Amino acid sequence: MKPKLMLGVGAIVLFTSLLMYNFGTSISTYVNFEEAENRTSSHVVGVWDSSQDYGFSRETMQFSFHMKDEDGNVRRVVYPRPKPNNFEQATQLVVIGEMRNNVFYANDMLMKCPSKYNDPSEADFVNAEEM
Amino acid sequence: MEGLIGNLFVTAAFFSALASMILYGIATQKGSSGFIERTADWLWICKGACTIAVSALLVYLIVNHRFEYFYVWNYTSTDLETLYLVSALWGGQEGSFLVWIFMAFLVGLGLIRWTRKPYKKPVMFVMALTQVFLISMLLGWDIFGLKLGASPFRTIAQEMPNAPFIQANPDFVPSEGTGLNDLLQSPWMAIHPPIIFVGFAMMTVPFAFAIASLWEKEYHDWVKPALPWTLAANLSLLTAIFLGGYWAYETLSFGGYWAWDPVENASLVPWLIGTAGIHMMIIQRKSSRAHKGAIFFAILAYIGIVYQTFLTRSGILGEQSVHSFVDLGLYNQLLAFMLTCLLIGIGMYLYRYKEIPSAKTESAILSREFMTFTGGMLLFILGMVIILGTSSPIIGRFFVDHPTPPEIQFYNDWSMPIAIIMALMTVVGQYLFWQKHNWESLASALITPLLLTSVASILSIILGDVRNLYYMVFIFAAWFTVIGNGTMILHLVRKNPRLIGGALSHVGFGTLLLGILASSAYNEVLLDQRMQNYNAMVEAGEVYDEQGFPVREKAETFMLELNSPKLIANRYMVTYEGYSITDSPRPGQQQYRIKFEPVDGGRTFYMNPDVYPMQTTSTADNIEWSVEPHVRTGLLNDIYLYVAGSAYVDELNERARGSRPGGVQPVTGQMESEPSEPENESQTIKFQKEQSVEVGPYRFTFVDFRPASEESLPDNTLIGVRSLVEIYHTPTSSAYEVEPLFAVYTEDGQSWTYSPPLQIDRFDLSVQFTRILPDEDSIELTFGGLKAEYEEDWVVIVAEKKPFVSVVWLGTFLLMAGFSVSILRHWSREKNENQS
Repeated sequence: MKPKLMLGVGAIVLFTSLLMYNFGTSISTYVNFEEAENRTSSHVVGVWDSSQDYGFSRETMQFSFHMKDEDGNVRRVVYPRPKPNNFEQATQLVVIGEMRNNVFYANDMLMKCPSKYNDPSEADFVNAEEM
Repeated sequence: MEGLIGNLFVTAAFFSALASMILYGIATQKGSSGFIERTADWLWICKGACTIAVSALLVYLIVNHRFEYFYVWNYTSTDLETLYLVSALWGGQEGSFLVWIFMAFLVGLGLIRWTRKPYKKPVMFVMALTQVFLISMLLGWDIFGLKLGASPFRTIAQEMPNAPFIQANPDFVPSEGTGLNDLLQSPWMAIHPPIIFVGFAMMTVPFAFAIASLWEKEYHDWVKPALPWTLAANLSLLTAIFLGGYWAYETLSFGGYWAWDPVENASLVPWLIGTAGIHMMIIQRKSSRAHKGAIFFAILAYIGIVYQTFLTRSGILGEQSVHSFVDLGLYNQLLAFMLTCLLIGIGMYLYRYKEIPSAKTESAILSREFMTFTGGMLLFILGMVIILGTSSPIIGRFFVDHPTPPEIQFYNDWSMPIAIIMALMTVVGQYLFWQKHNWESLASALITPLLLTSVASILSIILGDVRNLYYMVFIFAAWFTVIGNGTMILHLVRKNPRLIGGALSHVGFGTLLLGILASSAYNEVLLDQRMQNYNAMVEAGEVYDEQGFPVREKAETFMLELNSPKLIANRYMVTYEGYSITDSPRPGQQQYRIKFEPVDGGRTFYMNPDVYPMQTTSTADNIEWSVEPHVRTGLLNDIYLYVAGSAYVDELNERARGSRPGGVQPVTGQMESEPSEPENESQTIKFQKEQSVEVGPYRFTFVDFRPASEESLPDNTLIGVRSLVEIYHTPTSSAYEVEPLFAVYTEDGQSWTYSPPLQIDRFDLSVQFTRILPDEDSIELTFGGLKAEYEEDWVVIVAEKKPFVSVVWLGTFLLMAGFSVSILRHWSREKNENQS
């Protein structure tokens, strides 16, 4: 009984620590563009800067736009896929990728849309009323 | 007025549930007390009647477009079809709670009718307890600033008291609602959520039985009635997961059927824990062991549901999920619900822990008890791993400040080895389940399945060109599950076909594993030659961007121009043949025609993806587009394709931007070096043989090459050829044929081209044969005097070939079938015992 119990406890401890270690390494932290400069892979949260040019280039098959992070840094972001649905509507963007020479190369992008089920924002409401 | 009635019904439902809970509690404590128990039953029915009234009233308000109510205004509009008007009932968070409550009411009715003596009262107590919490989410009370629930009947004035138009006119009623999100206007939406809630409601039953057994100290018999309910709960969850996956794959362009999204995990984890519980209950039922495990998992499965509900609805996951729910401020209530379940469940479990019977002897490794127990534990461990990943916003804080969700790799890395062990164990478990074995007899019984498995695995590895050793092990384990359990089914069918439920589910599990591996690891992005070369260069590190940095992202899209075929993936000639505006089912919807001709001579087929403007989020100066992929389902391969951009969509976007009053004008085509050609000057258009191009009133067709006669050519000509061009003038229905000349000649040691323009006086038009493009198999013609501008028509395509998605569905169906067989078996057994 005793050695079996020890074995079991040992296995559980080993499994849990391995799992937690792996979990710890597979999550990362949200940073701003300046901090992203020195990292290989970063998650940056921000909003689309609509005052600058943006668009999908049929030449390079890339979508590029400017994004303002939470600390107000604006950088160009290059995303190697077509412009996602809902891009303009997103209230928040999360880009995942690498910063090189002041350009952020995203290999993934998440958009927080007002809500899947429509947000009751007042701007929305005014629009609906005008219609 | 209706709102007041609605709120009254919600309140009545709340108090009936509360009273019914208290009475069931008293009845349990007092022992036999018929009157109190009957009153509690009636209160439960009263609660149900109120729930039905609330739902009916809400549907009534929705159908009659009463936009003064926030829920109606926010989720519907006058142009919705009736089906979606009704399904808008569960389009929002409040309504989906309502559906959950309603389903729980039906489950409760079943329990009142069928549950046997010692358990019924405490079981119904727990059911009523969960109802009290769920209904409280809809109360919308404001007790001294403490908000309790969000009423589905609140008016827009209550929701947004500070909006300017409400301040100007408090009785303002909008004439139109904002409408149901376009993505939810799908027939799948009408069935997927209700089935989820059936599963959630039924999963309350094992929890209630576990608590009841702890309360009544009756630890043995509870599994008999609880088992069929748990199986049914799992069947519903599985069906809902399947519907959600199919919906995501077929009509939403999520790219696949599973993405480890928190909300998907929210339904998978309770399913895994529930299945773990089923394994424990089966041991308890069969061998009177594992009481502790069975009770523990029955409690945990429901806590899993409440925990995942908390995660997805409290707003905590807002940034991580495609299913972001509106934060209704229910955080504290949801937390209280979860903690109560946890406290009652785990608290009672620990309180009674010593009394719960446990086995005197240990089970041998080669016993059905040990194997089934381990199977349950593995399912539980997998569930815990997924919960850990999904909880990253909470648990990740131990590691970093603002934790991101884990990479997808985390889930794959852990679930794959666990799945392999599970797969191997199902077979050994099934063999031991039906017959006692020692190592020797087990080995001899497994020889045939092992041989067959090896053959199947080797064939799959060779035919599928599998090079990864890990995948080979995975394939072996999956085939072993299918073949081993399949053999067991053959044995059992001869004895009694009703016994095959377990083995059949395991075959489904193995099939699912095969399908998942094939469709995710061997997914192929279909590209044209140019993009393939580009990707090869990216792989070799030879591509650099404007800044001189190496490009590491491979391209996943390719472009097609109208009527100009391209060879895709070295297998298909793919042609974009134009689009039509179908306006169906949504206004402004376009359908594109993409022709696939297999070069090896297979049958030609068409893909018809759709693009449509989102009704609810588009505005006059900013159209938002959504795509509907076309999936061509095949036995071996699915082809999945959608249009990621098109000339038509670009043009409408330009027009919309043009209408923007003084706003910012983003330049979409900034990197396209295509200056728009001014009118009345010459335009050059590329043609392939037999291709037609329409410009303004004309249709030009390049029919074929024609030989050029000697005398028309300059001296020292190297090449000289004419092209036969047909010009059709649509307004006058008149056709002309011209044969412009193209020649290359040498003079003073240099090459020159000679292409004299041909004048068509009647239309004031000139045609010139300006270039031959041998590598593209096409020519260029230059036209002068065209009033209209030639508009290129093109589409950007994303296409993938996903092998054996059909096998994923097949595996799911087999699992469902296995569960169904087990439900029938356990249910009829329970009924027979009840009657005797």
